[in-house]
Amino acid sequence: MSAPALTEAQVAGLDDRALIRLEKSIAEAFMGGVPWGSVTWALVNTAVWLSLWPLTLSGVLPLWAAFPIATVSIALSYLPSHEAQHRIIARAGDRLFWLNELVGHVSTLSLVLPYDVARLTHYEHHKHANHPDLDPDISTHAAGTLDFFRRSLANRQPSGESDKAYGETLQRLGTPEAQRAMIVAAVYRLTYFSILFALAWSGHALEAALIWWLPRHLAATYIQYYLSFAPHHPAKLQGRYRDTRAFRSPLGNILTMGMQFHIIHHLYPRIPLMRTPAAYWAMRPVLTARGCDLGGL
Amino acid sequence: MQRILMGVFRIMPLLFGLGFLAPLLTQIIARAGWTPPAGLSPLILGLAVGGAWGGFATLRGRWL
Repeated sequence: MSAPALTEAQVAGLDDRALIRLEKSIAEAFMGGVPWGSVTWALVNTAVWLSLWPLTLSGVLPLWAAFPIATVSIALSYLPSHEAQHRIIARAGDRLFWLNELVGHVSTLSLVLPYDVARLTHYEHHKHANHPDLDPDISTHAAGTLDFFRRSLANRQPSGESDKAYGETLQRLGTPEAQRAMIVAAVYRLTYFSILFALAWSGHALEAALIWWLPRHLAATYIQYYLSFAPHHPAKLQGRYRDTRAFRSPLGNILTMGMQFHIIHHLYPRIPLMRTPAAYWAMRPVLTARGCDLGGL
Repeated sequence: MQRILMGVFRIMPLLFGLGFLAPLLTQIIARAGWTPPAGLSPLILGLAVGGAWGGFATLRGRWL
């Protein structure tokens, strides 16, 4: 995958139509093909998390070792599903569409996030990013990092905002698909709590707490920070070139799960995650000409 | 059906306190080898704390 290298000087004099043509031609160079890395990531990661149960319950793996593995695994569970949500692996009608849907459904099992809930609410996030009433992820935005952690904790209380926002979004959509997604969400949640309760009362409360319950909370915080808060901060502006920013993190690309380049994803959601850094560097002069917030990256 | 589900989710913090926190506390106490005060068994203490905390969260809408 490559696109012609551009300089800011070459882009500076272009009018709006020329800029969008150029932007699209760059983006197209990074789209297409099956992102096998994300498919492998989804299946291996899910298998790792599932394997922690027999390994821990049989005493092969100590719980203190399973806990960090579970936390990392659940933190890694969202992004392959995100690729599937955008039908990047395969589109409806394609030969491998089943694989797209399999990845979407399987990868977020540990996160207890049903694929259709994630997909439908995520489309609304793209459509209304940073809108105070219509963006289902707006509750993750905060004045700064400390405020993010405070709000993240508040959102998880029984009267918190995050789950409510997803439910309200599905209700607002009101389509048969959205109504089905709400039922599936209720089934997922009831199943999750039933499994936790059954494990706890059968003498495996610590395993349930340290392989699923606590890792899921820690992973959700990490995911919300890097996938929602950081790339949209300060979440005040709306519009194609204003609602998402690039940013430079001391943790680098891998530990921020590629989110430094999330602006590319909002402009062209069908560019696979692993190609967004290259797409960013190719498109950077266009983004500069558009006045995007590139956060020093 | 929807009404039943909404009712269950409304009291979910209490169910979580009794269904998860109570046995979790019981097992933590047992693993730590700690003896609860006033002759309480670890299970009774776990149920008391888990139930009270879950009840508080159900009524107040927050755990903390």
